[in-house]
Amino acid sequence: MYSFRLVGLLLLIIMSGCGDNLIPSGEDKRPPVLAGSSGGSVTQKASDFSVSDSNGNAVTLASSTAGKRGAVLYFTMWCPICDSHMNNLRAYIAPSYPDVNFYLVDYVSGSISEVAGSASSNGYAGGVFTTLADTDHILTTIFQATMGTTVVIDSSGIIRMNEDYRDGANLRANLSALP
Amino acid sequence: MISNFTSYAMAALLAGAAPLFPTDSFAASCCGGGSAASLTVPKYAVAVADLSFDTEFYDGYWNQNRKYIPDPPGSNLRQYRLNAGAGYRFAKDWQASISLPYVWNDNSYSGVSSQTNGLGDTTVSVMYEVLDDNSAWRVRDIGDMIPGVSLGLSLLLPTGISPYDNQQSSFDITGRGFYRLDGTLLVEKTIRPWNASLALAYGSYLERTINREYGKYVEPYKKDLGDRFSATISSGYAYVIGSGGDSVTGTVSYTYMNEADASFNGKQDSGSGFNKQSVGMALSYANNDNNWSARIGWNHAIKENGWGENFPATDVISMGVRYVFL
Repeated sequence: MYSFRLVGLLLLIIMSGCGDNLIPSGEDKRPPVLAGSSGGSVTQKASDFSVSDSNGNAVTLASSTAGKRGAVLYFTMWCPICDSHMNNLRAYIAPSYPDVNFYLVDYVSGSISEVAGSASSNGYAGGVFTTLADTDHILTTIFQATMGTTVVIDSSGIIRMNEDYRDGANLRANLSALP
Repeated sequence: MISNFTSYAMAALLAGAAPLFPTDSFAASCCGGGSAASLTVPKYAVAVADLSFDTEFYDGYWNQNRKYIPDPPGSNLRQYRLNAGAGYRFAKDWQASISLPYVWNDNSYSGVSSQTNGLGDTTVSVMYEVLDDNSAWRVRDIGDMIPGVSLGLSLLLPTGISPYDNQQSSFDITGRGFYRLDGTLLVEKTIRPWNASLALAYGSYLERTINREYGKYVEPYKKDLGDRFSATISSGYAYVIGSGGDSVTGTVSYTYMNEADASFNGKQDSGSGFNKQSVGMALSYANNDNNWSARIGWNHAIKENGWGENFPATDVISMGVRYVFL
C-alpha cells in the first residue's frame, strides 16, 4: 500500500509540472491584433523580407505575390511529416490555385546550394514549388515559424493564415477566400 | 463514437508487457517522442527497478511512396533518453509498472543547431498473467509446451513537451501531447537454453482539443491520432558461464509498427499515417541469483526502399541495468 502511495505521489509531482497536455483547453485564447499593423499574425501586414531562392534569385514580399492573388509559404526541414504535407500541397492544393505562388521555406540548410540539393534529393525541385533559402532565419522570425508552419499572404501583403499544416481544409478555405 | 468505442474495446482485449529491445520513438526534430517500454516483474519476484539509457540516431526517412530519403547534407540528429522504471507485483498474477523517460534532443543541420531537454511521455501499465511458463529444461509432456501468456493495459500520459505547449520550435518536442490506451499481449516460451516471444500491442489515442501550435494560439479544433499497432517477435539463446550459474543471453528480434491516419475535427487526414519495420539484437547478463542484470541492445532500421512509410529511419543503442526484488 505504501508503494502505491509513493508512486501516486511521484506521478502527481510529475504531472503538476507538465504543460497543457494533461488537461487540454479548448478555449480560444488568440490575442487581439490590430489589423493592418506590421507583424506575423493573421490580419497583420507581413514585414518586408528579401531571401534567395534555390537558384540564387532574390524573392521579396512584393515579388512573392506579384501578378498573383497571393502566396503560400510552407516551412520544411525535409522530414517525413514535411514530405507528407508537401506532397499533399503539390498533388491536391496547388493545382486548384494556379493564381497563387507556392514556396517551400528551407530554414535548416546553411547555404543556397544545400537548399537546392535538399529540394532535389527530396523530389521537390522545380514544378509548382519555388524553394526559398531562409539561411538567416528571416522568414522563420517574421512568422514565428517552425516545421510545418503554413502562411498565406494576399496580394496586398496581409497575412490570411499562419498555423501548423493540418489536412489542407483550412488552407483551401483561405486560398478560396483570397481577393 | 462507435469507432472510438471499438478501438478501446480492441485495446482492452490485448494486454501484456514490452520486450527487451529499445522501443520505437519519434524524431525529436519532427514528431515528438520519449515513450519508454513498460516493465515485467518475474513470477518469483515482488518488484523490479530498471534504469536504461537510449541513444537514437536519425538517418533519413521513408516517404509516402516507401522510398528512403537521406537527411540533408551536414545534418546530425540525435535523441538521448534516460528511462527510469519500476514494476510491482500486487497480487499473485497481477503487476503494475511505471516508466518515465527524460529526453535530450540534439539536432544539428548545416544552418541551425538546437540542444534541448525535458521530460518525455510517461507510461503506466497493469498486467495480468493468464498462463505461466514453467521454463522446462527438457520437454517431457505436452504441459511443458505451455507458454507464458500475459494480458495488460498501458496508458501513455502526455507528460512530455508537445507541439501544443508554449514551445516555439519543433526541436523542443519530447512528447506527442496525446493520451493513448494500449492493450498488449505477450506470449513467451523458454525451453532452456532457448527462448522465444511474441509481443502485440494495439493502442488508441484519445481525441483532444488544441488551441495552440508551437506557442501560437489558434482557433480551437479537435485532433485525434490514428490507432497504433505493433508486433515484435524475438528469439534468444542463454549461455551459462562457468559453474556459478551466471548467464549471457543473446536475442534477435523483428518489429513491425503501424499508425493509422490522424483526424481533424473528426475528418480523416489521408496520408498522415506511417509504418516502420526494424530488426534488433540484444545481449543481457544476469548473475547467479538473477537479482541484477545488465543489457545492451541495438534496434536497426533498414535504410532501403520499402522498409517504412512516412517515418524517420533510426538506429537505437540502448544500455540498461535492472534489479529484481525478491
